[in-house]
Amino acid sequence: MISVLTSLAPLLCGGLLAVTGAAKLFGRRTAQLAANTVLVRVLGNGHRATAALRTVGAAEVLIAAALLAAPEAAAPGVATALLGAGFTGYLAYARATAPESSCGCSARDEGPIGWRSFTRAGLVVLGGLAAVAADRTWWSRIDGDPLPSAVVVVVAAAVLLALSSDLDQRWLVPLRKLRLRLFGTPLGRPPRGGDARVPVAASVELLENSLAWQAASPVVRSALLDHWDDEGWRILRFTGVYEDKRGARPVNVLFALDLTATIDNAPAPAVRVSVVDDITEEPIDVGHLTPVLRPVLPLAG
Amino acid sequence: MSHDHESAGRGRLDRRRFLTTAALGGATIVGATALGGIDADAAFAAPMPSLDPAISKSAFAEGRITAINGSVLEVAGSYGDQHLIQLTNATSVWKLRPTTAEEIKVGDGLYARGVDMPDGTIAADAVWVNIVNLFCTVQGIAKDRLHLTHGNNHAVVGRIVAETTTASYLGGALTSDLSRVRIGQSAQVLGAWRPDDDTVDIARVTVGH
Repeated sequence: MISVLTSLAPLLCGGLLAVTGAAKLFGRRTAQLAANTVLVRVLGNGHRATAALRTVGAAEVLIAAALLAAPEAAAPGVATALLGAGFTGYLAYARATAPESSCGCSARDEGPIGWRSFTRAGLVVLGGLAAVAADRTWWSRIDGDPLPSAVVVVVAAAVLLALSSDLDQRWLVPLRKLRLRLFGTPLGRPPRGGDARVPVAASVELLENSLAWQAASPVVRSALLDHWDDEGWRILRFTGVYEDKRGARPVNVLFALDLTATIDNAPAPAVRVSVVDDITEEPIDVGHLTPVLRPVLPLAG
Repeated sequence: MSHDHESAGRGRLDRRRFLTTAALGGATIVGATALGGIDADAAFAAPMPSLDPAISKSAFAEGRITAINGSVLEVAGSYGDQHLIQLTNATSVWKLRPTTAEEIKVGDGLYARGVDMPDGTIAADAVWVNIVNLFCTVQGIAKDRLHLTHGNNHAVVGRIVAETTTASYLGGALTSDLSRVRIGQSAQVLGAWRPDDDTVDIARVTVGH
């Protein structure tokens, strides 16, 4: 089996490099792809990065042609291994310095650099070394052992497809959907019986849709600063500036809501509002904080 | 050290106790309105004429934090501009959840709203750290993450954070029940970007809207 693998390595590596190289060399989106890679920063601008990516693509195509045409020669295999080592080094550099950049490895791969990119580059190195060790041409091997050769080619193609994100939509997403259908969602449901705690974000959402919020909004300046639960109440603390005849002073604006209320179960929430002077800690009488109702604009037609 | 922590903790509890009493003594206002708020996702909301004349004087800054000097953040804006953001005791800090200024790190992205000061700094009323708002498609669901794509098929990993990540379905209230998210759905994800590994901690995922 090992000898089947080594003698078919030039075919497999050649096929892979021909596809990825041609896509980089002739692809219409190479410039767009290059713009997202770390090459832009290394080379100074997008044009040079595009040229570099196209050059690499041309090299891949040349090596692929050599691998396919002269599988028994050592040079194409060595060149493949060196190319793979270069890819690995480039990926490691890009991952370390700009993890959010795209790898630009295959024409449509826009994801961040992950284990798939590294595995693929590693396989190119191994494939190159295997090609050096090839003792027969790939066509004579296919001629001699058609069944094992077919198995190796199919398995290798499946591995390469799994390592590329280009075709995820075709096989990975349907597979994930099937798994969810068979085994259910991995995300936990809250316990039945409505015991689930109302998230703070839901209380804030309710507050921000309340008349109390609208009434206090001229005073509030910050976003949510602190929150805690106490005896069935959820207290939300904001800071703000209160202005009256004595001038402007920093204040805490406190809202108290029912701990279990959300926009689903409390269409007209009762919210307690109080404003406390931040320095003297004296409550400020806000009895005159009346909601300013926005006039409803007339509808057209 | 632990004694300090304990007394600081007790002081905080005492203060909360005092503020609770004050909060429950306040006026009760009943009713709902369609007006939105100024929290987390409002960082992205279109500017709306405010009811308060002071708010129109608000300054706004965004960029990456290049240095932190005490309570002043040096921010390099996305368009080559520079900002100095002054944090105060009254500044709210959001980083996936309401938190404190200690959580802010150099290299974080930031949106800040505040007031221009005469010395050229911005006294921040509110800062949102690493906040992102993405329109995505759900591509996969795992126990602790959502696989998402946005824009031109760009893959993003959204981490699910226990007791923080919430979901809203069909305009319903935010809930910690994430089990109704489906593969293939369009989703709006509000969260905090993690510069270390380029993933996003999800604060809120909105689907079916």
